[in-house]
Amino acid sequence: MSKEKRIIKILRYDPANDKKPHWVDYTGEFDSDSTILDVLNDIHWKTDGSLAYRRSCRSGICGSCAMKVNGQNILACETPIHKFKGKIKIEPLPGFAIIKDLVVDMDLFFEKLKKVKPYLVVDKPLPDKEFTQSPEEFEYIRESVTCILCGACTSSCPSLWGNEDYLGPAALLKAYRFIFDTRDDGANERMDIVNDKNGIWRCHTIFNCMEACPKDIKITEYLSRLKVKIVENSI
Amino acid sequence: MYKDKKFFDLGYYKFTGSWAWMLHRLSGLALIFYLSAHIWVISTISKGPEGFDRVMGVLASPLFKLLEVGLWGIILFHAFNGIRVVIVDFWKGSLHHKKLFFIMIFIAFLLWVAGGYLIVSHM
Repeated sequence: MSKEKRIIKILRYDPANDKKPHWVDYTGEFDSDSTILDVLNDIHWKTDGSLAYRRSCRSGICGSCAMKVNGQNILACETPIHKFKGKIKIEPLPGFAIIKDLVVDMDLFFEKLKKVKPYLVVDKPLPDKEFTQSPEEFEYIRESVTCILCGACTSSCPSLWGNEDYLGPAALLKAYRFIFDTRDDGANERMDIVNDKNGIWRCHTIFNCMEACPKDIKITEYLSRLKVKIVENSI
Repeated sequence: MYKDKKFFDLGYYKFTGSWAWMLHRLSGLALIFYLSAHIWVISTISKGPEGFDRVMGVLASPLFKLLEVGLWGIILFHAFNGIRVVIVDFWKGSLHHKKLFFIMIFIAFLLWVAGGYLIVSHM
């Protein structure tokens, strides 16, 4: 495994001392197949212990380490550094308030998620055993259930940058996931929530969310299906 | 906590979808400007035929003919990208949105050349 010298630029912000975020350069030798998270760990453990960032599972499932690297939202733990040529610029997720360094405030993100009732609403009597779905029924939601709520999509959305009250792709995808779940009975209620001035109609099909999603979920496609369902329901 | 007030992040504009959206907005603004100017030009008829003819005389100059060719391009882009947005939203176009964008741009380009030729040849 070859080691290579890389310059890492990190947007640092310390609320106690800084008015605005500023770039700090780090240089180090890293394996070419190290991930961005490995690089951050290396800096944090060996060079600068004050660097703040979120991480947990380091295997692309907890959704903690989403950040913007060289102008695109990615998951730090599953993106190798050889994907980037030259300097590597690491920033916190755009569109969210920065708490410290790469740690952003996700409160609003999760509040919006709660708004769309991200749980199964069942009115009919529950079955004795399993609550089954056929493979065809599951196919509708197969991809959308893999969302890890990292926030990369919502943070990449220009509609959200312009209006922070917009629900954003992650919350709308969650709404899709339950509205199209054949076991769920809360579809009408959820569609009323989503069919709002800060709801689904602020999606202008810019596709940044689809480009950003580390799980390759076709978010815009599902939001379009949701739009069609809402229009059909209101005719 | 620090909240960036940046309205949009230009560094993030590198994908077909985001450029299509940005150009759609800008061409929309240009069309609003054109329509306002158009209404003003037509309103000069209220000052009698001489005033209207004078304005029309200015608009017949080669510069305005060239601007008309540009306007035709903006209209075509806005119209054809608009069709793409409708297809993406309501006819499952989101899986092929990049291909769709280039197809639409190609059709718009052909019409732009044809219409532009007609405008320039009547100069």
